[in-house]
Amino acid sequence: MAKTYDFLFKLLLIGDSGVGKTCVLFRFSEDAFNSTFISTIGIDFKIRTIELDGKKIKLQIWDTAGQERFRTITTAYYRGAMGIMLVYDITNEKSFDNIKKWIRNIEEHASADVEKMILGNKCDMEDRRTVTKERGEQLAIEYGIKFMETSAKASVNVEEAFITLARDIKGKMDKKMESSPNPRNQGVKVVDTQSKKSSGFSWKCNIL
Amino acid sequence: MATVSGRVAAKAAADRQKRGQADYGRSGHPEVCHEDSGCIRSLCASVDASLTQGLKKRVGGLLKSYTTASLFKQCAKQCTPALLVAQKLLKLKPKLRMHTFGVIFESKNGDSSRPVMILSPLVQKHLWIRTALFEKHLAKIIEHLVENNSKYYEKEALLADPVDGPILSSLLVGPCALDYSKMKTPDHYWTDPPADELVQRHRIHSSNPATLNQPQSPKRPSLQINKRGGSTTSDEGRVPMSARDYVESLHQNSKSTLLYGKNNVLVQPKEDIELVPGYLSLHQGVEGLTIKWTPNQLMNGCSEDSESETDKSLYWDYAVTVHLDEIVYLHCHQQPDSGGTIVLVGQDGVQRPPIHFPKGGHLLAFLSCLENGLLPHGQLDPPLWSQRGKGKVFPKLRRKNSQTNIQKSQDDTQIFDGEEATDYVFRIVSTFKPELVPQELVDPKATPNGKFTFMPWTTKERARHKLTRSQPAIVQQVSTTSAPYFTTQMTTQVSALGGTGSPTSLFTLCCSSLFKYCGTPCSITGLAHCRHLHTVRTHLSGLVNHAIIPCEEPSDATDGLTVEKWQSMQQNGKVHNQEELVRLVYYGGVTHEIRKEVWPYLLGHYQYGSSEEDRANHDEVVRQSYEQTMTEWLAVEAIVKQRDREIQAANLAKLSSDNSFDGQIPLHREASNDHELDNEVFEDDGEYLQNGEVDEKIKMQESVDEESANQEVKEITDGIIAQEKIDTSQTTELPRSKSPRQDTCETESGRSLSENTEDFECISQKSSPHGSDEGIGHLCGNEVENDDDTENNSSESCQSCKTEREINGNVELDDQSRIKPIEVNTFPGSQERDDVEEAISNQGEQGGLIVPDSLDASSHLTPDSTAVSPVSSSGGVYSTELLDSFGLNLHRIEKDVQRCDRNYFYFTPTNLDKLRNVMCTYVWEHLEVGYVQGMCDLVAPLLVILDDEAKTYSCFCELMKRMSKNFPHGGAMDTHFANMRSLIQILDSEMFELMHQNGDYTHFYFCYRWFLLDFKRELVYDDTFSMWETIWAAKHVSSGYFVLFVALALVEYYRDIILDNNMDFTDIIKFFNEMAEHHDAKAVLKIGRDLVFKLQNLIENK
Repeated sequence: MAKTYDFLFKLLLIGDSGVGKTCVLFRFSEDAFNSTFISTIGIDFKIRTIELDGKKIKLQIWDTAGQERFRTITTAYYRGAMGIMLVYDITNEKSFDNIKKWIRNIEEHASADVEKMILGNKCDMEDRRTVTKERGEQLAIEYGIKFMETSAKASVNVEEAFITLARDIKGKMDKKMESSPNPRNQGVKVVDTQSKKSSGFSWKCNIL
Repeated sequence: MATVSGRVAAKAAADRQKRGQADYGRSGHPEVCHEDSGCIRSLCASVDASLTQGLKKRVGGLLKSYTTASLFKQCAKQCTPALLVAQKLLKLKPKLRMHTFGVIFESKNGDSSRPVMILSPLVQKHLWIRTALFEKHLAKIIEHLVENNSKYYEKEALLADPVDGPILSSLLVGPCALDYSKMKTPDHYWTDPPADELVQRHRIHSSNPATLNQPQSPKRPSLQINKRGGSTTSDEGRVPMSARDYVESLHQNSKSTLLYGKNNVLVQPKEDIELVPGYLSLHQGVEGLTIKWTPNQLMNGCSEDSESETDKSLYWDYAVTVHLDEIVYLHCHQQPDSGGTIVLVGQDGVQRPPIHFPKGGHLLAFLSCLENGLLPHGQLDPPLWSQRGKGKVFPKLRRKNSQTNIQKSQDDTQIFDGEEATDYVFRIVSTFKPELVPQELVDPKATPNGKFTFMPWTTKERARHKLTRSQPAIVQQVSTTSAPYFTTQMTTQVSALGGTGSPTSLFTLCCSSLFKYCGTPCSITGLAHCRHLHTVRTHLSGLVNHAIIPCEEPSDATDGLTVEKWQSMQQNGKVHNQEELVRLVYYGGVTHEIRKEVWPYLLGHYQYGSSEEDRANHDEVVRQSYEQTMTEWLAVEAIVKQRDREIQAANLAKLSSDNSFDGQIPLHREASNDHELDNEVFEDDGEYLQNGEVDEKIKMQESVDEESANQEVKEITDGIIAQEKIDTSQTTELPRSKSPRQDTCETESGRSLSENTEDFECISQKSSPHGSDEGIGHLCGNEVENDDDTENNSSESCQSCKTEREINGNVELDDQSRIKPIEVNTFPGSQERDDVEEAISNQGEQGGLIVPDSLDASSHLTPDSTAVSPVSSSGGVYSTELLDSFGLNLHRIEKDVQRCDRNYFYFTPTNLDKLRNVMCTYVWEHLEVGYVQGMCDLVAPLLVILDDEAKTYSCFCELMKRMSKNFPHGGAMDTHFANMRSLIQILDSEMFELMHQNGDYTHFYFCYRWFLLDFKRELVYDDTFSMWETIWAAKHVSSGYFVLFVALALVEYYRDIILDNNMDFTDIIKFFNEMAEHHDAKAVLKIGRDLVFKLQNLIENK
């Protein structure tokens, strides 16, 4: 069957509200920056397909509302996620502190082997920085997660971050596939066929 | 008109080009674009439209067809690029002809060969534009046309326009710079079609252009026979889908594999018309096999000429789609003079229109493909025989052979011997436990009248769904087997088994009798009907008002509430007739100019029948209480801000001490050192003033006061207690220790604060002119004494303030102070921001003088907090929890207000601050809930219309009575989802089916934002206004849950797109998120009203 991609990875963006999750996603999916985004309500996602080692990988990236109050909805999407981006704002100490909370959230709701990555966004705003890169790195090391400082506005590292995450997921998956004989992997989405109803008339068949 | 459409097209072309570049200008493969991309198609169409507009008759109309092709031909004579393109076209021509007539494509197995790409007529129509584009000459050709516009175009034409013409040609330079490829470039995989493209496709190719704009409701009788599954009853209602999409769906695609395709297969779609040739195809998808037959008329022409469109809709009715899992028998008739005929018989016994194959073994080929497709889970019975050299052949059947399934009762129509004319009946069986059913038993005669008494239980859900009420236990067992044809086999088996004792057979016996009992079509229908009615009655009747208030009576309400009507409704400034008012609003909305007056009524801010005076009084009361509340939280805000500033400064300090000094921190330390020395807040004050940091003294003092108050709190948290402050800090700790009574404490403190703040404002005002040291010092003295009495803490402190005020004898200032806070704080956000910046920069200036040392961040706070000020003393009343929680809310509000609808003209910084004030006031009053994202969105439109903070606040409170339940803490969202599900089930069973099969229907998350914000984010502002007022009015006219019907209307509006693309929930979320602000609110509202009406009727007719 014709498939337009080899794998489908579901990624999730979480982090405090206003750290720039939507902008990061917009930068990655549209390669553009929009300063007029409003707060994300509910849930949205964007798609981008990348190529890794000759495989087409469709990234379905879910963007969530940052406010903790919406956790009930967002956690529903934790489970299906294969990779999670934790985003904080380098000019906002609190958002950095909360990364720990978010990680706890992940541990609670996401599958155990989900790939994670920490992004310190808004790294173009050096003059208003309150969280040093070292602290970010330190935290990442603490949790054994990869870390990058990004800027959606200046297009720094956004692409790299997602590709790194996707690569990690793929690496993990490849390993899994080696160990298990099943060639089909969980990343492939089976696309349903159109289900059309028959148009029906009462017909007399002369055989009956 | 023509000009306009041309302009629109040109604009569309520009947009498309942009998008094309956005879509395809992706990193990695920036300049390659697939030729068959939808972007190209629509770009060509737009260019064509632009070129057609204003074309001189002589140029365009020499030939019969008034197209740009003739223009191009003329152009080619003079323009070299055009000539080149023309030559290229000539080369293409022979290839094209091959494919003009539908698809000529056959494949035994979809895997081995790929479908031949055909050019749709639309593509052919714009072929020259396409080719020119691919050859990168298009821009030059257009440029040529623009330069020589007088030759080809009328004066008013788009291309003759001195501005627009060149713009068009230069716009096309971009697309011409791209490379185009037939190859499946990686780009091809990049994106799913965006929502607007889906909609556009639908618009362009839909054989009935009006489908999108009309409610589908009349086409879909809801409470009739349940057509779920294979009961082929009401599919005439199938809305014509996009011709091109449909035709494309016939090709091999990602969703299904084409197993067989044959054109010019004849079908007699209706009894009274003759055989129609069409394209027969067999598809294999995840769901199973599907046989489709499409009349040639649909295959050939999508929208070539508009006149035939009406005729085409007719053909849509003829098109046949049959799911093979609904089919049990396949009757083959072979006559000597024709190729053969197949009749498909469904499980319900209904026959599909006969399919007549042309001569030449096509029937056999089809059967063979079908048989292959059925594997591994099903097979034809009897199977086709393989014959060496010949491939598959019909099984040699003998009349008496009990292995066959031939209908013995129809001897007269059966001719057995001779290959030329043989009739067969094939049964499609599932290989699931074939041993259970001896072939002899599989005899359709087992069922009376040639009708099979089984419903097509194709999925377990269906089985469970329908039967739960009668025999849940057994059904569950059955459903676990999940074999589509299981039940069929079961029933036929009954007679044979005759009650043998094995557990299996007992079970099957049980099942079959069950199915016999409730499986007859009429009882199923009846059951489903009852069930539906039951659902309607129990669950949905509460959703609508039972009295139907018509649009026409007493007067036509479609125009809504106009200015005249509004004026005529007011008698002596009183509006009495609520019923009529809401009826008008519900059916037609409010004229924009009077929204400001009408909305307060609709929201319940004003009472109907109130006099002008009443309303003015009410407004005044509301305003006062609003301002009162504001003063309360403004004081807290001040403290919070200060605290934040400290934290920020501390962080900065830490940061810069971490990385060598950059001069900022020392400054701060210097300042703090000063404080330490002076230990007086007022000194600070003076110092700040000396520095010329802030012009307004009031503001200055406020901030100083706040600062000290904050520091005090900070100090406690930091555990650093300065000597002079010991008593004060105790006070602060007290509320904390009373944590079980936290709530009461907070409110108490809030209340007392309200008075206090006023006084503080008052004091700070006074203090600047009079030298405030005395007054404040005095107050502090009082405060310190009172602090010992913890029980009366708040009231005491309040008293002390009053005393203080009296002592100073500045009573008249009191009035001022009431007003002052509001004025001062109209721009609190920006002000505070400035403050912070100033504070930092100021510190920076000072700091150069001092050598940085290793003072830690908190130590330099101490001096400030030692200073005693009125606010600091009363600051003790606030619990840290209160400060924390309000502070947190403030940050959230700040963040959201700053980014709320910045694109809308109304939201200037001034008005954003108003928004913020309203929001903060609400949150202050509802601190237990706090700010939740989305609340800003709900305030914004109210503020835009009412343009008055206090009134907006009051109306927002009214609005939140209904809306707050939708927020995460309220729990109403799940109810909405459940209702939504029931409504879809009742009113659009086909959609329900799709949602049902595609996922967990409890996750109607695509509706989440709709319900949370009353569609505010889905619509542009003007539409939001009418949406909201309709929703408010609906409560009194038709339904208190009108939002549900609007949501359903949105789904219905795009139902064809959703169904045609077989969207799952993920797709739907994406689709609607992309469609935000592109909806036709008027149409959606109308559909929504119709849906309410429909449900009302259903309930009435119970």
